[in-house]
Amino acid sequence: MRCELACSYMQTGRFEPAKSVIRVSPYEGMTSYAPYTCPQCAEAWCMTVCPVGAITISPVGAKVVLEDQCVGCKLCTIACPYGTIFYNPATHKAFKCNLCGGAPACVEACPTAAILYEDVETQDWLGAFAAARSAPLLAGEGR
Amino acid sequence: MPTRHLIVGAGTAGINAIRTLREEEDGAASEVLLVSAERPYSRMVLPYYLGRSIAESHVFTATPARLAQWGVTGHLGRRAVALDAKASRLTLDDGTVLAYDDCLIATGSSAVRPRIPGAEGPRVHTFWTLDDAQGVMRQIAAGSHVVLVGAGFIAFTILNAILSLGARLTIVEIAPRILPRMVDEAGAALVEGWLRRHGVEIRTAATVTAIEEAGGRRRLRFADGSEIAADVVLMATGIKTNLEWLAGSGVRVNRGILVDDHLRSSVPNVYAAGDVAEGADLVTGAPEVHAIEPTAMEHGRIVGANMAGRDRAYRGSLLMNIVGVLGLDLASFGAWADAAAETAVAVRPDRAAYRKLLFTGDRITGGIIIGRSEDVWTGNDVGMLKGLVQAGTRLGPWKAHLMRNPFDLKTAYVASGTTGRLLPETILRRPSRSPGRAGTSV
Repeated sequence: MRCELACSYMQTGRFEPAKSVIRVSPYEGMTSYAPYTCPQCAEAWCMTVCPVGAITISPVGAKVVLEDQCVGCKLCTIACPYGTIFYNPATHKAFKCNLCGGAPACVEACPTAAILYEDVETQDWLGAFAAARSAPLLAGEGR
Repeated sequence: MPTRHLIVGAGTAGINAIRTLREEEDGAASEVLLVSAERPYSRMVLPYYLGRSIAESHVFTATPARLAQWGVTGHLGRRAVALDAKASRLTLDDGTVLAYDDCLIATGSSAVRPRIPGAEGPRVHTFWTLDDAQGVMRQIAAGSHVVLVGAGFIAFTILNAILSLGARLTIVEIAPRILPRMVDEAGAALVEGWLRRHGVEIRTAATVTAIEEAGGRRRLRFADGSEIAADVVLMATGIKTNLEWLAGSGVRVNRGILVDDHLRSSVPNVYAAGDVAEGADLVTGAPEVHAIEPTAMEHGRIVGANMAGRDRAYRGSLLMNIVGVLGLDLASFGAWADAAAETAVAVRPDRAAYRKLLFTGDRITGGIIIGRSEDVWTGNDVGMLKGLVQAGTRLGPWKAHLMRNPFDLKTAYVASGTTGRLLPETILRRPSRSPGRAGTSV
């Protein structure tokens, strides 16, 4: 889970995977893994719902939280249908993937090149991967 | 053809309509008139102002400079008193008559107080407007005893702020339990326990019959004969839609103004948005009033695009609420109280975590999540539950999995391809723009 470590370090300055905005899920009894993060969607549900305009689009196209504007109302966390914007109870602010300003630390940290940073048409990378590896879970095994 | 758009109400719906209209026009110069009793501010952030974590300047949404940049002619401090839909004219409280080509009614709702003696007395407030917030702030001090009448969503939004000011808090609710319209009984019981453990006093099934003067303080009398003293009484006893002024206008009204999928009322050049609109519910398709911020925003944007001639249909609004109390987050979505749905419930008392999922066929049509703010999976799951309801994902075999383990939303969400269903979806059929980049053409 090096991506989570690298991400949390970029986000908070500390190695604290709980603060990572990329999250890795195990599949097929821990034999394969899927990293999941903000798809920087076209609608930007978090941005449009923000009552104080505290979310904006960065030069690299990431939707980013302006910390000095965020009041911590959590509306973005219910409006985002991807579950990829979070609330930090210590700072009372929302936080999310900002693409590290264009050089994502998760990509750099991944030892198997499983995370790529490319500008492509948005699509669901993980759905088919996860579905193909879910048989044990659906059979009631796994957890 | 020059057009004159009239926006009545400068809350979330009205301001989003103007911003979107300017974005969509992209250079054209239609005339925009804005009528609002108050300066445009965000009701959503008033609790943070009350708790003094933000300055007053932070609550304002469209400053005079922004309105000027948008080329808006403001009639601020004025109320609409009559609409003549046949003649396309609006009359204001100072007698001004405004003619329009199309009009948006976004007059929101107001707080209501129970009809009991003393409900309008000194040190008794509602918490709805900026004026209300300022009145309450002047009277709460460290050590004050605040009695909050009503234990619904509005009450819960200000709970943290009241406690952060060092006040002691008692919550009084007429229903047998707290949060009757936001979470179910089991969820409410968990929240109630959490609040009591944090020193909040709660009285349920308690009917206040009168509020009296008591040596500079207030005394609340209850139907069972008991009484309590308070320094400040906050009435969070509900809201009503601001519709009375539309009597005789020709606009069709039920619980709200009935609107079609373009947010048009029964009068084609009159739109309604936000708390006053009764439009399609995303899950059921039935007309509903959703007096919530996301609906006001989406309604407003759809109206703005349609006023610009874009012909944008709206899929319907999704009921959703979230509130955090003392480090515990509560969120509910969609048809969470649907008695006809199949339900899956799970509790983890050690983590103060609760999940309820409601299924219609193999789709999730509603749900409730309660969990500690510091529990990272709570935040993850809240968004994913919204996504599953919004996308209407057919879960197939994942339904049985979630029935067994309602906490494992993420796996089902990802493997059911919900991300892929959602990615093409936009409200305006185009990417959204940064809030700072709204049209500046006029």
